[in-house]
Amino acid sequence: MCELYSKQDTLALRRKHIGPSCKVLYAADPIKIVRAQRQYMFDEKGERYLDCINNVAHVGHCHPEVVKAALKQMEVLNTNSRFLHDNIVEYAKRLAATLPEQLSVCYFTNSGAYHGHLSSLIEISPYKFRKGKDVKKEFVHVAPAPDIYRGKYRENHADPASAYADEVKKIIEEAQNRGRKIAAFIAESMQSCGGQIIPPAGYFQKVAEYVRGVGGVVIADEVQVGFGRVGKHFWSFQMHGKDFVPDIVTMGKPMGNGHPMACVVTTKEIAEAFSSSGMEYFNTYGGNPVSSAVGLAVLDVIENEDLQGNATRVGTYLTELLNRQKAKHTLIGDVRGVGLFVGIDLVKDRQKRTPATAEAQHVIYKMKENRVLLSADGPHRNVLKIKPPMCFTEEDAKFMVDQLDGVLTVLEEAIGAQTESVVPENTPCRTKGGPQERFGLETLGEEVKQKSLCS
Amino acid sequence: MLGEGDSKTEPKAPGGRRTGGRGPERLGRRAGQRRRGEHDAAPRADFRGRRVPSARQAGAGPGRSARFSAPWRPTGAERPRRWPCGGGCSVGHCHPLVVQAAHEQNQVLNTNSRYLHDNIVDYAQRLSETLPEKLCVFYFLNSGSEANDLALRLARQYTGHWDVVVLDHAYHGHLSSLIDISPYKFRGLDGQKEWVHVAPLPDTYRGPYREDHPNPAVAYASEVKRVVSSVQEKGRKIAAFFAESLPSVGGQIIPPAGYFPEVAEHVRRAGGVFVADEIQVGFGRVGKHFWAFQLQGEDFVPDIVTMGKSIGNGHPVACVATTQAVARAFEATGVEYFNTFGGSPVSCAVGLAVLDVLEKEQLQAHAACVGSFLMELLGQQKAKHPIIGDIRGVGLFVGVDLIKDKATRTPATEEADYLVSRLKENYILLSTDGPGRNVLKFKPPMCFSLDNAQHVVAKLDAILTDMEEKMRSCETLRLQPEAALLSPPLEKMKHSTQIHYWDDGHDLQLTEEESH
Repeated sequence: MCELYSKQDTLALRRKHIGPSCKVLYAADPIKIVRAQRQYMFDEKGERYLDCINNVAHVGHCHPEVVKAALKQMEVLNTNSRFLHDNIVEYAKRLAATLPEQLSVCYFTNSGAYHGHLSSLIEISPYKFRKGKDVKKEFVHVAPAPDIYRGKYRENHADPASAYADEVKKIIEEAQNRGRKIAAFIAESMQSCGGQIIPPAGYFQKVAEYVRGVGGVVIADEVQVGFGRVGKHFWSFQMHGKDFVPDIVTMGKPMGNGHPMACVVTTKEIAEAFSSSGMEYFNTYGGNPVSSAVGLAVLDVIENEDLQGNATRVGTYLTELLNRQKAKHTLIGDVRGVGLFVGIDLVKDRQKRTPATAEAQHVIYKMKENRVLLSADGPHRNVLKIKPPMCFTEEDAKFMVDQLDGVLTVLEEAIGAQTESVVPENTPCRTKGGPQERFGLETLGEEVKQKSLCS
Repeated sequence: MLGEGDSKTEPKAPGGRRTGGRGPERLGRRAGQRRRGEHDAAPRADFRGRRVPSARQAGAGPGRSARFSAPWRPTGAERPRRWPCGGGCSVGHCHPLVVQAAHEQNQVLNTNSRYLHDNIVDYAQRLSETLPEKLCVFYFLNSGSEANDLALRLARQYTGHWDVVVLDHAYHGHLSSLIDISPYKFRGLDGQKEWVHVAPLPDTYRGPYREDHPNPAVAYASEVKRVVSSVQEKGRKIAAFFAESLPSVGGQIIPPAGYFPEVAEHVRRAGGVFVADEIQVGFGRVGKHFWAFQLQGEDFVPDIVTMGKSIGNGHPVACVATTQAVARAFEATGVEYFNTFGGSPVSCAVGLAVLDVLEKEQLQAHAACVGSFLMELLGQQKAKHPIIGDIRGVGLFVGVDLIKDKATRTPATEEADYLVSRLKENYILLSTDGPGRNVLKFKPPMCFSLDNAQHVVAKLDAILTDMEEKMRSCETLRLQPEAALLSPPLEKMKHSTQIHYWDDGHDLQLTEEESH
């Protein structure tokens, strides 16, 4: 592969010219990726990595059908949506066909909304505003994540869906008591940065009832999880039942297989209210012929290659393999997922469910050495998240899990944990100074935390 | 080692571009390493459409697609019937070099910027060479709106302040945060927020200080100073002054030279930063310089520059350039800035290809040349047609200000609208802007030719002449005393506040003032 710069020079140039807030993965030892096909990425030495991270390359990196569609259109016309063109209307029609009937009006943009990196979206993204110096704005009200593993109401609760929905109801009432009015409830249909959380069935229906009851609307953020990733349905919100229809759906990431695209779909009523402001909504690039052609090609590939079916089959198999690992490794507190959206919650202690943050970082680096790309998320950065390109196979799943098994085994041996059963709480620690110090995980955790892109 | 003897120390060509003259060794590359695609350059056409053969073309090797081995010249089928005068396709719609770059990269890798890749660093390096030295840190995004939003965040983080000063009639984007700083938008929506302060547009044709003022730059800058002072008196603090380097939506305004440096002084003294929005006007459009803010003087350097639209010839790309200091302050928040698609290998390949084309086809010089010619022709039209109040512009950024009355300079809004629809019938795409929607705005692809300029102006002339004849003949008819002599359509004209002309089936509606 023809490289312009050596990896060292690339890194040096990056430090010089790219905003230091733009981080690289594996900051302590970044990878230079020069090529990718399907679910595999290749570094500058030609080493192949299994990509379990990249849900953006939804139908597979560099899918030839999508590349061809882009080329064909780029050679002919790529301009803004102020002119009539078939591609945008065809694409809108095809998208609308995947959604409940009332969601029929599309606005095309270029990038999705954690809910996003824009000022307005950071204000509504606890993931961001909690980390930064920004404080929560008074118009933002945060409900507990409906996490039945680590949240307030867990798997042993009689009705966690209602319990979590009631928290939303409480928040709405508090806001109203302060004289405020709710415009919207916005949630990822499955929380990704929140730690691969799958809200319990019935949650969204109840929340929708409460929110609509006070004149608000429900926004389902499908930016990470749409387009068949859950297998059984095209949209993740559909997992919650036919009776749950959001008022607005946002989509992005996977839409264009890497091409910058996103979309908002809503009802006629909401669209009409928006246009009644009299103000035009114009987005220079959104809905351009090339983006629309790319979007159409992605829909075609999802259909022709039965990627939804694949997500169900491989996702089920993967979850099964991971559950076997859970029985074997005490570090695995929870395995949760649907289709090809899976999370492995690593814990130091199964009873307390203490997040194993440093261990998760260690696992990720070790998996990288074994040529598997994984990332960690969740508020404690302890959930290994798996959301690979949809062409991920059973062989890939087996390979990934085998590597994970190996890494966890070594790790657990090193920290003295038993692989067969949970260590009782009152068992004295076998190693002097504690398991983490012995393995140097604390140190590693610190190193990883402090090393930044620019070091 | 990277950095030693790099091109930042090379003398600058006029317009701020550094001349390296070192070929591939420039940009810190080792000898023998070439820029991606350099050897693969497709046959090029210069701005007159003449074929410029590439070295490669002589012996096009295997694997080269037939579609790229022919010179790029619009064929009979492709030759545009329509002559576009506006849009973000800076080097020309579907430029084959740009298409090729995108396609080649699409086949190999298109992923996010969390992995190391040469394209993003190469592109950043190339962009940095076009800018003053201290603007050397880049953030890549997908749209101008995203870029301006990030610029706002950067400014606030760096200064620790919150308020923003903007120009009247400015437009910086359609996101919530940007509608708040775009008088063009917020006046029709939620109104002005308390942290937004509006200074008068430095419009020397229609603003408070005009072409007869001895020093409009200082006068307009003093307005900003006044705004800043009044903000401070309220106990508020300025984070930024945001301005399009050449306000487009405000009516193709060319701020007087010296305005920005004065403003920057006032703003920085108050602890704020200067954000130059180059989204509409960057990348050589102004001819004389690569960036429009450079028109304001060699010594003038904004703190943050935003770029978009023309940067990717239609591909969704945008960028924010800033200083090390601003970037470090942003990093200090501890929050990562991640943009899923920004800085992807394909977007950067496209951006690089656009820079290559601008350079190889000398489009900046071309813009200067064609732009001057266009202005000259339009100047002749101004002398001929009283509806043309002002011609202003630089390079291929030109505005034609249509007025109803020379003394009052009242915007000729309806006439402008009519003119645009007549031009469309003549296969010329043009649009209007300005608060009076009366300024014809020219910002065509940079390959716009002298012939195109001549053609457009000829059509404009013909239509304006036609309009003026019709108005004269209608005026004559209107002055006839006997109502009985009036035919039904004219009867209607007499008794309504609007007069309708029929010309090839197009109605021109005059306002009440016009009809009397």
